[in-house]
Amino acid sequence: MMMLGCMGRTAILMLALFVMGWWLGEPAVSRAEDPDYPRITGPCNCHFPKDHGPHPDYKTEWWYYTGNLKSVDGRRFGFQLTFFRSRVLPPGAEASWPDPKSAWRAPQVILAHAALTDIDGKRFLHAEEMARAALGMAGASIEPATGAVDIFVKDWRVRITPETHELRAAADDFGLDLDALPERPPVLHGDAGYSLKGSTPERSSCYYSFTRLKTTGDIILNGEALPVTGESWMDHEFSSAPLEPGIAGWNWWSIQLANGSDLMIYLLRKSDGTFHPASGGTLVDARGKAVHLGADDVRAEATGSWKSPHSGAVYPERWKIFIHPKAGDKELSLTVAPNLQDQEMRTPGTTGVTYWEGSISVEGSMNDAPVKGVGYMELTGYEKAFDAPM
Amino acid sequence: MRQFTLFLRLFNWFTVRMLKRHRWRVLTVLLGISLGAAVFTSVRLSIGASLDAFTRSMDLIAGKADWTVTHHGGRVPEEFVAPLLRAPGVAAASPILTAYVHPAEDRGSESGMEAPPFLLVGIDPILDRAVRSWGVEGGGPGRISGGTDLITDPGAILIGKPLAELLRLKTNDRLPLERLRSAQKFRVAGELTTEGLGLAEGGKIAVADIATLQEFTGLIGVVDRIDILLKPTATKQDVERIRSLLPPGVVLERPSEARESGKMMIRSYRLNLSVLSFVSLFVGMFLVYSLIALNARARRRELAILRSIGATPRMIFLLFLTEGGLFGVFGWLAALPISTFMVRRLLSGISGAISHLFVRVSIDRLNLDPWEIALSLAATTGISALAAYQPAREAMRASPREAIDAEGGDGAERTSPRRLAALGALLIASVWPISRAPSPPELPLPGYIATFLLFSGFSLLSPWCLQFVGTRVPPLLRRIQGEPAYLAGRYVRDAGTRTAISVGALITAMALFTALATMVHSFRKTVDNWANESISGDLFIRHQMSETNQYRDPLPEEVVRKLIEIRGRGGVDILPYRRIPLRFGGHPYHYEALDMDVFRRRSRFLFVRGDAARALEKLARGEGVLASEVFASKTGLGVGDRYRAVVEGVAIDLPIVGIARDYRTQGGVVWHSLRALEALTGKREWTGARMFLSGSTEQERSAATENLRSELIRDCAERYPVAVTTGKDLRGEIMRIFDETFAVTTVLLLIALLVAALGITTTLTLLVIERKRQLNTLAAIGAGRNQLRSMILWESLLMVGVGEAVGLACGFALSYILIFVINRQSFGWTFIYSTDWSSVLMSLPLILLTALVAAIPAIRLVLGYSPAMALKE
Repeated sequence: MMMLGCMGRTAILMLALFVMGWWLGEPAVSRAEDPDYPRITGPCNCHFPKDHGPHPDYKTEWWYYTGNLKSVDGRRFGFQLTFFRSRVLPPGAEASWPDPKSAWRAPQVILAHAALTDIDGKRFLHAEEMARAALGMAGASIEPATGAVDIFVKDWRVRITPETHELRAAADDFGLDLDALPERPPVLHGDAGYSLKGSTPERSSCYYSFTRLKTTGDIILNGEALPVTGESWMDHEFSSAPLEPGIAGWNWWSIQLANGSDLMIYLLRKSDGTFHPASGGTLVDARGKAVHLGADDVRAEATGSWKSPHSGAVYPERWKIFIHPKAGDKELSLTVAPNLQDQEMRTPGTTGVTYWEGSISVEGSMNDAPVKGVGYMELTGYEKAFDAPM
Repeated sequence: MRQFTLFLRLFNWFTVRMLKRHRWRVLTVLLGISLGAAVFTSVRLSIGASLDAFTRSMDLIAGKADWTVTHHGGRVPEEFVAPLLRAPGVAAASPILTAYVHPAEDRGSESGMEAPPFLLVGIDPILDRAVRSWGVEGGGPGRISGGTDLITDPGAILIGKPLAELLRLKTNDRLPLERLRSAQKFRVAGELTTEGLGLAEGGKIAVADIATLQEFTGLIGVVDRIDILLKPTATKQDVERIRSLLPPGVVLERPSEARESGKMMIRSYRLNLSVLSFVSLFVGMFLVYSLIALNARARRRELAILRSIGATPRMIFLLFLTEGGLFGVFGWLAALPISTFMVRRLLSGISGAISHLFVRVSIDRLNLDPWEIALSLAATTGISALAAYQPAREAMRASPREAIDAEGGDGAERTSPRRLAALGALLIASVWPISRAPSPPELPLPGYIATFLLFSGFSLLSPWCLQFVGTRVPPLLRRIQGEPAYLAGRYVRDAGTRTAISVGALITAMALFTALATMVHSFRKTVDNWANESISGDLFIRHQMSETNQYRDPLPEEVVRKLIEIRGRGGVDILPYRRIPLRFGGHPYHYEALDMDVFRRRSRFLFVRGDAARALEKLARGEGVLASEVFASKTGLGVGDRYRAVVEGVAIDLPIVGIARDYRTQGGVVWHSLRALEALTGKREWTGARMFLSGSTEQERSAATENLRSELIRDCAERYPVAVTTGKDLRGEIMRIFDETFAVTTVLLLIALLVAALGITTTLTLLVIERKRQLNTLAAIGAGRNQLRSMILWESLLMVGVGEAVGLACGFALSYILIFVINRQSFGWTFIYSTDWSSVLMSLPLILLTALVAAIPAIRLVLGYSPAMALKE
C-alpha cells in the first residue's frame, strides 16, 4: 500500500521541467525560484480560447495529448504527443542582446515527444524533436482574431481551434494525423485551475484538461495510413515554479471509464520512498462535474512489475487503485494493467531521460457497479532517481 | 633445414667475416642507406600527419552529414533551415558558420606567447546534436554545462582543451577577440570534451552559438552551409525534393567533395616529395651496388673455391642477395633515430608548405602509421636487395675451374658499351613523347616515367662516354701530363661497367641537382617577376584574416567609403577587387573581379596564351574572362572556351579570352571585370584594394605611401579588422613563403647530394684498393709514388668529369620535364625557364674536389703496402 499526498498533476510538469533542464545542462529542480519570471500565487482566471494559447513569460508550459485508438479492423493503438515550451531567458533579458541581432536569438525553445503503441503488433515506437522558436523552425502562438492556437516544432504541429485539436507528427517509423473534438468543456484542476505544487503558494501552476476528445484520423505505420477512431486526453499547464527538491520520481494516470467518468491521479515519490503531500488528482463524473482528490482520498498498490531489457529499470506496471474522496460519496476500485509491457521512452541522443509512458486498460467497480476503461500511465525515476538538490 | 643451416654458416664465414674486416666501408654504406631511408620515412610521415590532421578535421567538422547545402562563392541564407527541417526524408538539418579569428593583442601579451588564429565554429546546439558529436567537460554528450549559456549569453564560447592550454584559459575567463567594429570579450563557458568537434583543428577550436557568431562577424542572415542527415527511409525522390527547395547557386552536395579535393591536393604533394625523397634512397642503391659488386669481383677465386667444394650457384646468389637485403634492414634500423630527429624538423616545414599551397592544416599529433613503417622497411630492403641482384648473378656464374686459374677473372659479362649507349639513346628519345601523354588528375605519372627513362638512358650512356673519353683523351693527356695521365685514361677506357656504376650514381645526383636548382631558380624568378608585374601596388588593404578565411569577408563599408574618399582627393589610383572562392566541377578556384581600367594602367598580366591587347580590351568591357594557367590546366578549358559559373547568385557565361600566370593558389583564378560584376549583382562589395601613389621621384612616392599608410591605419585598421600592407612588404612576404615552401625541397636535395658524395668516395676508394696488385706491380717496375698518385687523381678526374658532364646534360633535360611536365601535371603551372648558372658552376668544382679528396686516403693506403708483399700475394 502506498500513501498519497495531495496536489495537482505535477508529474508531467516535473517531467517537462526536468527534460528541458537536463538538456540545458542543469536540472531545473535544482534552481531556486527565479524572481525574474512571473509567479503563480493565486487564481488563474482562465479564459478560453485565450488560455489555450502560450503564456510566453512563464518559464515552462506544455500541451499534452494521450489517447487510445482503434483502426477499422479492430487493431488497438495508444499514442502520446506532447509539446513543451521552455523560456530560457527571463522576460526583459532581450534588451541586452546585440544590435543588430541575429534571427537565431530566441528566448523560447519548443520540444516535443511522440510515441505510438501498436498494442496488437506488440510494438512501441517513439521519437522527439526540439528547436528554438525562431526562423520558422518552432513556435507557439495564438491568432487574436480567431483564437486559433499553433504550437509546432519542425513538421510536428498541434492546432487548437474552438472546434477541434489537430495533431500532426511524422517520425522516422510512424506518424500521427489526428483530429480531436472536445466532448466536454475543459476541467480546471485544483482551485479553479490554480494547482498547488508544493509547500508554499508560489510552488504552483495553472492547469486544466480536456478529459475526453473524440479522436479520428490516421496513424501512419510502415508507410501506410491506417484510419483510426478513439478517445484522447489533453492537458495544458504552465508555471515558473521550480520543482520541490527531494523528489525521486512520480507515477501518473489518466483514465477514461466506460461509464463516462474520468480520473487523473499522480503520486510524487520522495527520495526516502514516501510520497510528497503535494500529490492528488481529479475525478470527473459522467456529467462533467469535477471533484478534487487529496492525498488521503487515494490509495494505490503495486501488484506486478516489469524489468526493462533496455535500461534495466524495474517498473511497477500493475496497480490496484482505490479512490474514496471525502468530498463525495463515490467509491472507485480499479485494477490497472499495461496494454504492452515495453512502453519505455528512452532518449539517450537528446534528453537522456528514460521513463515509462504507455497505454493501459483498467477494470474494477464504481459504487459496486462493474466498470472498465482505458487510459495512460507514466512512471518516472525508476531508471535512476532524479537528482534534485536545492 | 640442413641446407638452411649450411647457408647460415656459409654466410657467417664468407660474408660476415668479410664485412667485419671492412668495418668502415660497411658503415659508410649503412650511413648512405640509412640517410636515404630516414629522408623517405620522415617525409612520408610528415605529410601523412598533415593528411591525417586535415582529414580528421574535415570529418569531425562535417560530422555524420549525408548531404550539405552550400553556396559556392557565397553563403546560404538562413531561412532555408526551416524548410529543410520539414522536408520529407530529412532527419536533421544543422547550419554551421565558421571563421578563423584572432585573439586581440592583449591576450597574447597576457599569456606571454603569440596568440594564434583559431577556428570559431557557430552552430545551433539544439539542431547540431544529431549531426556532430561534441560535449562539454562536466556535462553529457551535446549537453551545455552552465545552463543556457551558449544560447542565452551572446558572449559565451566553448573552447577545445589544447586551445585552453595554449591561451591559458579556464572556465569563466574572458577572451577578447577582434570583431568587425570593435573587440569583443567572450566568456569561456566551458571546455569541449576530447571528442568530435573538440578534436577538430587539433583541438585549437572554439564553439559558439550560431547567433553569437553571426553577430560577431556581421554575417547576419547567412550561414556557411547546412548539413543534412537523412532518415534511413529517405529516397532519391526525397533528395530531389530537397534540391528543388534551393534557389539557383545554392547546391546540395556530398560533404566529402571538399574533403576529397583537399585530400587529393595533399596526396599529390606527398607523391612529389616522396619521389624526391626516394632519390636519396635510389642514390643509396648505387652505394650498395658498388660495394657488393666490388666484393664479388675481388673474391672471385674464393667463390670458385666455394663452388668447387659443393656450394650451389643458387646458394652463392642468395649469399649476395642476403648481404644486400641485410644492408637494407640494418640501414633501415639505423634510419629510425635519424628519422625521429628529421621528422620533428620537417613537420612544421611541410605542414606550413601544405597550408601555403593547398589547405590549412593544424597538426596535433604524429601517427606512426604501420603501413608507412612497413613501406619504408620494404622500400629500403627492396632497394638494397635489388642493388645486390646484378652482382649476385655475376657471382653465381663463378665456375670451379676459376679456382685453379692463376689469373682469375672478374667474371663480368661484357656488354658492348656501344650497345648500351644505343639502348640509352633510345630511352632518352622516348622521354619527350612519353612525357606528353595524358596524366591522371593530380598524378604526374607520365612525368615520372619520363624521369625514370631519362635517368636510365643517361646511366646507360656512361660506359660509352667513359670509353670514348678513355680512347680520345689519353694521347692528349700524355702530351700534357705524361704517362700517369695516359695510363689513367686507358684505365678509364678498359674499366667498363666497374666505374660506369659509380659514374651512374654521380650522373643521377648531378642531374637531380642541376634540374632542381634550375627549377627552383626558374620558379623563383618567375614568381618574382609575377609579383612585381601582376601584384603591383604601393599599398594593399584587405580583411585581416582574408587568406585564412578564404577571402569570404568583404571590407567593411566604412573602409570602402574611406577608400573612395581618398580616391576623390587625387594623387592615388585605387584598384579594388572582389575575390570569391568557387568550384568548377569538384575543383576549387578563385573568381576575382578587378577594376580593369586601373589594372591596365598600373599592372600587367603575364600572358601564357591569347592576344594580350585584345584580351584586355574584352576584359575591360566585361565581354570575357581571363583564366590563370592553373585553372586552365586543371579544368582543361582554354582560350575561346566558355566559362560558366554562378557568382553571388548571378549566372556568368563568357568566353575565356586569355591564359595568364598566377601563383597564389593551387586551384587557379578566373579574372573578370569588377564593373561588370557590380552591374550584374547590383552590389558594391570589395574584398580588398591596391593603391598606386603618384610622385615624380621614388623618394616622394615612398613618403606619400608612408603618409597614406598611417592614415589608413588610424582611420581603418585601428577600428576594423583590416590589414594595411605596403606592396614592398607584401611582395617580400610572397617570396618568403616561396622560400619556406622550397626549404624542404632544398633539404632533400642536399641529403641526396650527401648520399651521392658518400657513394663517390666509397667507390673511388674501393676502386683504388681493388687495384692494389696492379698499382704495386707498377711500383715494382719503377713507377714513382708521385706518378701513381697522379695517375689515380687523373682517373678520378676523368670519371668525375664524365659523370658531371653527362649529369649536366641529363639535369637540363630533367629540368625541362620538371618545369613543363611534372609541375603542370601536379600543380597546373609552368615557369619561365631560367638556369641557375651560379649554383651549377659552383657545384662542378666542389663535386670534383670531393672526389679527388676522397681518392687521397685510398692512395695512401695502397702505397703504404709493401710492393713485394703485394706481388707475393
